[in-house]
Amino acid sequence: MFDNYLIRSDSLRNDVVDGEVVGFSLAVRIANYRGVFLSLHTGYYLTVDGVDYPREVQTFEVNGKPPRSFDEIKGCVWEHWDYDDEAILHVARPGGLAPGAHEIRFQQCVIAAYGYLPTDEEWVKAPPKTGTGAGSDKTPQVITYHLELNDSVEA
Amino acid sequence: MKIGVSFYSYQQSHFFKELTLEDQIREVSQNLPGADGIEIVDEMSLRYPDPGEDFVRRWHSWMEQYGTVPVTMDVSFDVLQFRDHVMSYDEVAERLMRDMRLAKRLGFSNVRVLSTCPVEVMIKALPEAERLDLRLGKEVHQPMRLEGQQVTEIIEFAERNGTDRLGIVPDFGIFGFRPSEVLLAQYERRGAKPEASVAAVELSALLRKGEGPFDLASVATETAGNLRSEFKRYLTSGDSTAVLAEPFAALRDFARARVPDPSELDYIVVAEAIMQSNTGLDTMRQLAGHVVSCHGKFNYMSEIPGHPGQYQDIAIDYEGALKALSDGGYEGYINTEYEGQRYFQDRTRAEMMDEVDQVRRHHEMLRRLLGIAAPAEVN
Repeated sequence: MFDNYLIRSDSLRNDVVDGEVVGFSLAVRIANYRGVFLSLHTGYYLTVDGVDYPREVQTFEVNGKPPRSFDEIKGCVWEHWDYDDEAILHVARPGGLAPGAHEIRFQQCVIAAYGYLPTDEEWVKAPPKTGTGAGSDKTPQVITYHLELNDSVEA
Repeated sequence: MKIGVSFYSYQQSHFFKELTLEDQIREVSQNLPGADGIEIVDEMSLRYPDPGEDFVRRWHSWMEQYGTVPVTMDVSFDVLQFRDHVMSYDEVAERLMRDMRLAKRLGFSNVRVLSTCPVEVMIKALPEAERLDLRLGKEVHQPMRLEGQQVTEIIEFAERNGTDRLGIVPDFGIFGFRPSEVLLAQYERRGAKPEASVAAVELSALLRKGEGPFDLASVATETAGNLRSEFKRYLTSGDSTAVLAEPFAALRDFARARVPDPSELDYIVVAEAIMQSNTGLDTMRQLAGHVVSCHGKFNYMSEIPGHPGQYQDIAIDYEGALKALSDGGYEGYINTEYEGQRYFQDRTRAEMMDEVDQVRRHHEMLRRLLGIAAPAEVN
């Protein structure tokens, strides 16, 4: 769903902390027709210009709170990511991205479902590997975006 | 019968912030003659799980101002919410009961649970439904059908216990008899061969006549999403559950015989034929007394050739379904549930569908088939 609109097209920028570029960020929306409890959100398959950025280097900023790791997000079992709301996906990468155009391959993983599934127990142990389409039922393809880097911001 | 709209229909306009919730309510009130029913998906339309008292007051004032009626609230459950264990039936029932209290605050009469919601959960929530004066309806969604245990167990419970608080919400997708033309077109944009679309339509027709290479009943207990991912797993690994092995093999052979050098995507297109429920219209008539409300599902309203201003969905038997409900004495709501916008969402916003227009077309059809007067016809 909303294949070309899950990342806001003018949102790619480098993150700056205390004057130092520590990574980059993107504004994202939920790939479904409804919001979900935040705990169900397990991270992204994300490559930029062929480089893979796994969920371990990703943090997620939503609901007016500072960026949280997906380990912390896992514990947010009563907090909801509403359908209306944009969130910011931050990626740690010292030095950030180079100016200009970048090719981004992207898939969100949210283990929301229509009821019980055969994979439930397995996903309690560990969420599905990102990018496989598992846990991405409404947008099962990896989507490619071509985005320009915008001016950096102080995070 | 009465008519309304599920705001599921406006999910894309909502996503792009082109229509606010109030705009959606106003559209039903002002541009859909004879319609007053409102249905929402709680996690789509609301700040969830608690939209706040200010919102609740605003909601009720909208209903009064626009003359609309909260009919059904659609709720979900995610069994991995707690992440450290799979939710028990008790926990699913607790979530359902919280959603029911939210529905009550907003003045809804009914709560729709997912087709996958165990009947045990509905029964656990029954005392709360009585306390709140709500009805609970399980959605019957294609490829599920009205025949079979998932529906029968609810009807039997309701009849045995003399309650009308548990029932069903038929989704009109169960009266579909071929894959929608817009779904097939999207598959072709993704690289599927036109021969695969033709084969999917041919196989649908054979299965409808009972002349297909396998019995559809064997796949009708799965959700469409689960069937698609199971078939994909079968194509990659050759593995599947015992029940699905035979239909999947027959499906693969059917595709091989008709599609040159079929790709995985081509197989998946042909498999759309098994997503049709082919449920019985007479069953619908018999079960009409157990219907809580209906999802008037459609994927694409096209103009009927030779009838300007009149519209149809070429893949769903609306005439048969509405007649069956009417013959069975159903007097509740048909709430429009447009879903075909999804099949254009691989494109740019400018090439996506106009949900408002599609829903207006659907209401032209509903009014015409149900004989609902529309003094001032819109469009």
